Amino acid sequence: MATADPAGRSRPRRRRPRRVEGLPILGVLALLVASFMIAAPEVFLGHRIYMSFLASVPPLLVLAAGLTLVIAAGEIDLSFPSVIALSGWVLAYFTHVLGSPWLGLALALLAGAVVGYVNGVLVARIGIPSIIATLATQFLWGGLTTVFSEGLSYALGEVDRYVLWHLLVGRLGPLPVQSLWALGVAAALWVVLNRRRFGEHLLFIGDNVRVAEVVGVNVAREKTRVFVSMGALAAFASVLLTFENRSFFNTQGQGYLLEVMAAVFIGGTSVFGGQASMVGTVAGSFIIGMVEAGLVATGLQGFWVRAVVGMVFLAAVIGHLLIEEPERRAAIARALRGRLGIGRAARRDLPARRRDSTEV
Amino acid sequence: MNAAGPSPAEASGFRDVVRLEGVDMTFGKVRALSAVDFAVGPNEIVGLLGDNGAGKSTLIKIVSGVLRPTAGRVFVRGREVALDAYSARRAHELRIETVHQGQTLGERQPLWRNLFVGRQLVDRLGFIDVAREKEITNQLLQRAIGFRGEGITADSTARDLSGGERQGIAIARAMYFEADLIVLDEPTTALAVNEVRKVLAFVAGVKAGGRACIYIEHNLAHVHEVADRLVILDRGRVVGEFARGDITLPDLTARMIALHEAPRGDR
Amino acid sequence: MRTLAARLAAIGLFTAGALLAAPARAQQEPLGGGLTMYFQMGGNPGDGSTLPRTNGARAAAAAFGVKLVEQYSGWQPEVMLNHFREALAASPACVEIMGHPGNEAFAPLVADAQKRGIVVTSGNSPLSKLQQQYVANGFGYAGVDLYEGGKLTAQHMIEFGGLKKGDKALEYGLRAQAERGKSDQGLYDTLKAAGLNVDYIEISPEVDHDSSLAVPILVAYIQKHPDLKAIGTQHGNVTAFIGKALEQAGKKPGAVIAGGIDLAPATIDGLKRGYVSVVLDQQLYLQGFLPVVQCVLSKRYGFAGMSTNTGAGVVTSKTINQLAPLIEKGIR
Repeated sequence: MATADPAGRSRPRRRRPRRVEGLPILGVLALLVASFMIAAPEVFLGHRIYMSFLASVPPLLVLAAGLTLVIAAGEIDLSFPSVIALSGWVLAYFTHVLGSPWLGLALALLAGAVVGYVNGVLVARIGIPSIIATLATQFLWGGLTTVFSEGLSYALGEVDRYVLWHLLVGRLGPLPVQSLWALGVAAALWVVLNRRRFGEHLLFIGDNVRVAEVVGVNVAREKTRVFVSMGALAAFASVLLTFENRSFFNTQGQGYLLEVMAAVFIGGTSVFGGQASMVGTVAGSFIIGMVEAGLVATGLQGFWVRAVVGMVFLAAVIGHLLIEEPERRAAIARALRGRLGIGRAARRDLPARRRDSTEV
Repeated sequence: MNAAGPSPAEASGFRDVVRLEGVDMTFGKVRALSAVDFAVGPNEIVGLLGDNGAGKSTLIKIVSGVLRPTAGRVFVRGREVALDAYSARRAHELRIETVHQGQTLGERQPLWRNLFVGRQLVDRLGFIDVAREKEITNQLLQRAIGFRGEGITADSTARDLSGGERQGIAIARAMYFEADLIVLDEPTTALAVNEVRKVLAFVAGVKAGGRACIYIEHNLAHVHEVADRLVILDRGRVVGEFARGDITLPDLTARMIALHEAPRGDR
Repeated sequence: MRTLAARLAAIGLFTAGALLAAPARAQQEPLGGGLTMYFQMGGNPGDGSTLPRTNGARAAAAAFGVKLVEQYSGWQPEVMLNHFREALAASPACVEIMGHPGNEAFAPLVADAQKRGIVVTSGNSPLSKLQQQYVANGFGYAGVDLYEGGKLTAQHMIEFGGLKKGDKALEYGLRAQAERGKSDQGLYDTLKAAGLNVDYIEISPEVDHDSSLAVPILVAYIQKHPDLKAIGTQHGNVTAFIGKALEQAGKKPGAVIAGGIDLAPATIDGLKRGYVSVVLDQQLYLQGFLPVVQCVLSKRYGFAGMSTNTGAGVVTSKTINQLAPLIEKGIR
């Protein structure tokens, strides 16, 4: 539906595209860290807390990066907490009980991919809305994990004797290696989103699935692929988490659901699909991962954490909206001016200037 | 940006660049097309006329690979096309380009991406050459229909454009990829008067360049002016075919009105 | 002679018959055979504070031939009430419940059960009023008093670590939750009563589920307060990560006295390495085993309810090694 402009005249709705991706949210992150440094220098001017973040944020980042692609395609995946449990169990079982961590890694990733494939079939071939399908599979795989593990949690014991452990979550000096893996994953997914056909297809599918079909995108295949990739990435996040904790907890993963989604949306990826920012997701992950510790360090009572996260979330989402949608910003500005009695919008003697009236 | 050169058709010795034989299209209980025979010669402009709901868009979607007919056969350059292998992408490979009514651009995607989606410029490893795509897009923008060069660049998103500008981009895309057959579905709907002139000139230019075009329009005067042949669809069937000069504009108009007012007969 | 032979034969037959019958009788019905018991386990299947209880209940059920129906409520009181209604609808022999929903909420339901001759008993967290009312019908209790448990943990922390008046401590807990919070309150109050300077942080829902998320938070706190002498919690999974946080914050084992609860695998590790000092052992296994015994004895023989305090001790970094094998099996 090409919107008809009565006079057929081009409307000057130009917007300068941003030169640097994710600048606003990176600014928020910088501001946050700076505030923490000022309020709690004994914590945030030292290296230890950052090393702690670099050990705890990677699983969150890997999940958020994977989810960004899914959301770019206009879908959602709620099943990843159960992949964290399932793949964690697979890894723990093969490492602790059978002594073969490499096999455990391979099978853990495979398990995640299988979960993703099932999601893909349900959504792309059978046509169930992704929010329902992945909610159902979350219960399914979570339940099956409890069955497989017979309800036990495992300690992985002397897992640091394995080379694989050092390769994935070891320490380079004080630096946790998983942070490098996570940033690598984020970088790779940035390339996929911005420089690979798969990424462009996802964006078109999220933008308008009819248009995607018409320009030659195989919608069902690409949707299935993105769910498979999310499943495998969630499995990788689980491997990093389980190895870092040296334990498999039966309920692991459930605490990540809301945090991962918050990280993605704070980063500026549109919930409607068609527009995504991987840089934003990285910034959002660090913001979410750091905020509670930072607030604790500043002495703010822990009860405030959720409220502060909520405020940051709202501010970020509104900020992104105003930047991306200049018409909305203009409309809000007009309404505000009207309310405050400033300018033409408030004068009742003049006819309201219609948005699309042109000099005919 | 037009590929100049003689018509490629005659050399290969086929009669129609695309031909539909006995095509049916049924959606559930609704028969959108019944036993439609339709062909377009290699250097022919076919005007496709019909009231709303006559089946024009459906026919176009079959030609462009978006819909699969429930019965019938499709031939491209004389060779039958396996229907289960035919798709929008395949149509592009066969040099059939379509400017669909309305939905051909991703609203939130930048113009360079919209132009090249489905046939991105990639290097050997499959990485998209974004710089080159932007460069070509900027060049196209200068010549495309409907643009005044007011701050629209390759990085602008489709949402920033007016209806006319979007049509211009979609047409520029079809032009750039040097289709042998260009299908235009209501290309002038959102355009200003002078822009419509440009579209008609473009259609004439397609003919001069030795290519073919299917042209759908509600404005009978426009179609009558440029088409070599007129095909009229009504309620999913071909009800009339006229070569250029066989029917006057007033007669054509009367006919279309009569069709519009006719009662819905046997269904 | 004929009579003698006949009598001998009769005796022989009788003996043979008795011998044959004896094994059949010796293989008598297990004490709880034919009984069905609905058992509320508390959390989620498999988690640290639920698994040993589950294992205890299953072991007792197997030993006594009781059919066990397990219910998992994720520690949510409303769910527990619903589970009780479901249990009533099935008319089992016995039901085991926990005190989280409170005496008032349970009172009408328990009254209904009593009328129908169902034995109701409790565990993990008490229902003192109902227990008093129905003790004659087998209403017992097998658990730790949550407040007492917190108190005990704190007392052992003070003793083990030589904590003094004026020392700085942190309690990281769930005081906002009515029932579970009591244990944190006990810990907090006891430390405070001993003159320590106690700070408090509430555990967020995210950390509640994925306790590894607690690590950076604790690291930040520990670094902010270099003179911190003690950290206490009554959250089983968080206990598992205190050691890691101390390590990441650069503390040596024993520099900060860490007190917690339950024996998650990582907690055992922490105890062995000396980062975790004192852990309350609820002996959750008994909280599962004993109510089943209660059920059988009360249903069969009408015995009254027994009250057992299962959490009378702590495990320290010194005593951990003897217990390790049992812990692996999910018994301790």
